[in-house]
Amino acid sequence: MLYSAAALVSLIGLADSIYLTVEHLSGRSVRCTITSGCSEVLSSPYATVRGIPLAAIGAVAYFIVFSLTTLVAFGYKGLGKILRLVVAAMFLITLWLFYLQAFVIGHFCQFCLLSALVTTTLTVLAIVAQRAKAG
Amino acid sequence: MKRTLPFVIIAVVLLGGLLTVWYLQRSTAEGPGASSPPPTTNASPAARTTTTANPGELGAEPPHALGSAGAPATLEEFGDFECPPCGILHPILKQLEGEFGPTKLRIIFREFPLVPTHAHALAAARAAEAAGLQGKFWEMHDMLYEHQKDWHEAFDVRPIFEGYATKIGLDLEQFRRDQTSEIVEQRIFQDGKRAHSLGVAGTPTVFLNGREVPFESLAPETLKSLINSELAAHP
Repeated sequence: MLYSAAALVSLIGLADSIYLTVEHLSGRSVRCTITSGCSEVLSSPYATVRGIPLAAIGAVAYFIVFSLTTLVAFGYKGLGKILRLVVAAMFLITLWLFYLQAFVIGHFCQFCLLSALVTTTLTVLAIVAQRAKAG
Repeated sequence: MKRTLPFVIIAVVLLGGLLTVWYLQRSTAEGPGASSPPPTTNASPAARTTTTANPGELGAEPPHALGSAGAPATLEEFGDFECPPCGILHPILKQLEGEFGPTKLRIIFREFPLVPTHAHALAAARAAEAAGLQGKFWEMHDMLYEHQKDWHEAFDVRPIFEGYATKIGLDLEQFRRDQTSEIVEQRIFQDGKRAHSLGVAGTPTVFLNGREVPFESLAPETLKSLINSELAAHP
């Protein structure tokens, strides 16, 4: 049940990062409707890694998490450890990106905050699932 | 069946994701303001630097330029006065202009207002070009970038721009008339044609001696070393 929920949550992250990837590749600057710093964040030098949009890397990561959670939910329990490692790495990167928005760029982008929320939820679900397994 | 079902679900999501990317990209390319999609939109910045210098369309003549036409390094910026990264680049270019001086570095500004993404970008481009008709393009250019945050979210920018025009000593009546003049429209249009011919997709896009500088290299130190390399190559 927890893994099915995690799979659904990862789909939100996947949709968010696909949207940002397409906007990035189109060269358009994304407009925020809730926060006010989408252009600043998404057009900053931190939005790409060696020319690859960070959003595209995020989309791949969310797809991997979706695949792993789906497989674990269907009984491929051995993949649980890899899933936890991937989610932990994503959570650490999320913390770094949050720090960049707050203290380096000085603006927040709502789509990045949604991604941070999704990754945090996935991390919580992974911890709960691990505890349930241990208990 | 149960063993294959998760793989089917994963494949469906993968296919759905790819179709979404394809559909969104297609609708972006067909959407308003994207009448001539640039060929290099999807190229990575690293790949773009290797592109052979392309003379492209001429752009508005004469261009707005600082520095001597014979300077060994020419930096051409395609900018949008409402784009925040362009605002960040502005003091960097100012600093480079001061450090290298007019005999070594020439800076050209080309209008590339991102319409309709930035609501006031076209009005700002018109204001700068209208100021240019009174010989004060760079004064207005600096005003617009340095006060970007003051007008970026304003509902009506006209009184703000008129305030800048007064401040830099323009004839206000002429400034008002010139903003909607054919010559201003044509200059913006010609710069836009040049931008499209060079594959400019966003702003700021900077060319150094005809070669596109990747966005990641627009930091002051990197730009400085790129200019120094050009000066070394063309003593």
